[in-house]
Amino acid sequence: MLKINNLNANIDNKSILKDFSLNINPGEVHAIMGPNGSGKSTLSNILSGKKGYEISGEVLFENKNLFELETQERAHKGIFLAFQYPLEIPGVNTNIFLKTSLNAIRKANGEKELDAIEFLKLVKEKSKELKFDEEKLNRQLNVGFSGGEKKKNEILQMSMLSPKLSILDETDSGLDIDALKVVSEGVNSLRNKNNSFLIITHYQRLLDYIKPDFVHVLMNGKIIKSGGPELALELEKKGYENFN
Amino acid sequence: MTEKIKIDFEKTLKNSAFSEKDIEFKMKYLNKFIESGLPNRKLENWKFSDLSQIIQKNIGELSFYNDYSIQNKVDTSIFVDGLEHNKIIFINGRVEKIDFSYEDHNKVKIDDHFEFRAESDNNNSLLSLNNAFTNKCFRITIKKDYSLKKPLVIYHTTNNKIKSKNINLKLEFELEQNSSLRIIDLLKDESVNNFINIFYNFNLKENAILKNYKIDKILNKNIRYLFNNIEQQSNSVSETFILSSGSNFSKNEVNCNLNGEYSSAFVNGIFSLDNEQQHEIRTIINHLVENTKSYQLIKSVLGKNAKSAYQGKIFVDSKAQKTDGYQLSKAILLDETSEFNAKPELEIYADDVKCSHGSASGSLDENTIFYLMSRGLNYKQSKELLINGFLLDVIEKITDPEIKNLVKNMIGFKE
Ligand SMILES: Nc1ncnc2c1ncn2[C@@H]1O[C@H](COP(=O)(O)OP(=O)(O)O)[C@@H](O)[C@H]1O
Ligand SMILES: [Mg+2]
Repeated sequence: MLKINNLNANIDNKSILKDFSLNINPGEVHAIMGPNGSGKSTLSNILSGKKGYEISGEVLFENKNLFELETQERAHKGIFLAFQYPLEIPGVNTNIFLKTSLNAIRKANGEKELDAIEFLKLVKEKSKELKFDEEKLNRQLNVGFSGGEKKKNEILQMSMLSPKLSILDETDSGLDIDALKVVSEGVNSLRNKNNSFLIITHYQRLLDYIKPDFVHVLMNGKIIKSGGPELALELEKKGYENFN
Repeated sequence: MTEKIKIDFEKTLKNSAFSEKDIEFKMKYLNKFIESGLPNRKLENWKFSDLSQIIQKNIGELSFYNDYSIQNKVDTSIFVDGLEHNKIIFINGRVEKIDFSYEDHNKVKIDDHFEFRAESDNNNSLLSLNNAFTNKCFRITIKKDYSLKKPLVIYHTTNNKIKSKNINLKLEFELEQNSSLRIIDLLKDESVNNFINIFYNFNLKENAILKNYKIDKILNKNIRYLFNNIEQQSNSVSETFILSSGSNFSKNEVNCNLNGEYSSAFVNGIFSLDNEQQHEIRTIINHLVENTKSYQLIKSVLGKNAKSAYQGKIFVDSKAQKTDGYQLSKAILLDETSEFNAKPELEIYADDVKCSHGSASGSLDENTIFYLMSRGLNYKQSKELLINGFLLDVIEKITDPEIKNLVKNMIGFKE
């Protein structure tokens, strides 16, 4: 599904990702763990098409060159990024945003757009599953939301859009244990043989609830070790400083 | 200009039936105008938009004579759909229709030949021009305790039959105690390169409520000046909303005198401009007695080579303790050539007051655009959503729900 070959990324001549390679097959869950500043968000942003990086290397999504696609086209093809810091957008109603987003993606894929009633039914159902306070849906997007609510809102968007590849950038940080469980259930319910996940996290805690198939350790823009779920535990025990 | 204006003035007098008193009045203001000329950037008030130059550049020499004896045909297709309303229709500066058929006739009084009278403190040369050339000044009185059932839509229209380069309109509104009036000014021009000079005078008695929504939305090549003078007695409320978007050049001035305790004034505005448009809002709120309040929120969205300016003055008299005055302006600059100027002015002579002002401008936030695009919206959709979001709180300030929806539809807000 996703093939990253020797990806290099610079900002202002500073090298951030160095010969980064990763292969994710349909149905797989990969976790990337790394200390602050190791390049995790940079990777997520590049996969979603954020501008401002000097990039070399190759990224293929379903065998297509990802760099030829604009950000919204990547979303249409099924890439979703749950932001580490979801943005507050004053004046934009959460429901209207969700509906615009969902219908933009449906339209791009030749599917029928949902009308107001169909949309509300779906969003109600999904909010319930995620224990997301429905009243928040009529508020301005993320404005006045707590950290946890913002993260849940990301997962709500994810489950509304049911993407093929979901990238979760530190979705777990700032969540209490109950929220963590709910978010994990949201992810697990989307798991199937076609959908893949790239879970970016700092702590192994989340991986107790979302069992990854592979764990990669990212340091200074490079994967220094890959393995199974046991790698996360090892990392937790040793800490990043002593890990090598 | 002097020769031309004198000739046109003579012609105007010849073709009208002004009383001697009127003529004397008009002569006086003609001479006043000739003396001062069109305002230019040397005047502090006009430092952001030199009207004299703008007229010179876009129109060239002005002409002033209009034949008001000929009736113009009213194009009913321009009427606002889905909103029952009273009407005043101006075509090329002539009042074609005044229609208050929704109202109780004893409660709305229309004086169609209201005697011209001098304004106090008149250093505004455009008012002089207006006094010299306005054909008729109507005065509309809303009687005590009466609230108009339907809003009044004032249609400002021009078409290509217009003879002169300049037209002048004037209306007076008297809101007696405890009365209320909602006005929508709709600007709709088919003529090009005219200078349109509009004066409104509002007199709000105790407990009166005025809501005035000025909608300049349809692109046109005209130059427009609108002046609102609002006098307020105690407990009266004025709400002015300005959508400043369609004209090539526009300047709205609001001068509001809070003469009675617990009176309050709200001025909210949106500039949505592109392609060389230049608009300005200037307000002067005079807090003259205790316990008065003013609130102003002005937002700009500016495209290529578009300029907006907001000059907001809050004056607090030494008697005006417990004044509450607030103003905020924000701008989104969509292009490096966009320009927003804010000149807040606080002149405060009382010590127990609460006054604040603020101003901010910046470009669209790229991170936010990225966030929206990562959800499948294209750049244009993302930009529109952000701009609508930015403008929403100004629109939400419209206190009349029916008119709020009308404005939302006009701007293209999606729900
Ligand atoms: N816009 C930027 N400009 C300059 N440096 C940046 C920018 N974004 C990230 N960096 C740098 O890139 C490195 C990786 O950042 P990031 O990808 O956010 O790390 P992580 O998400 O792993 O904490 C850090 O050293 C950070 O300072
Ligand atoms: Mg990060």
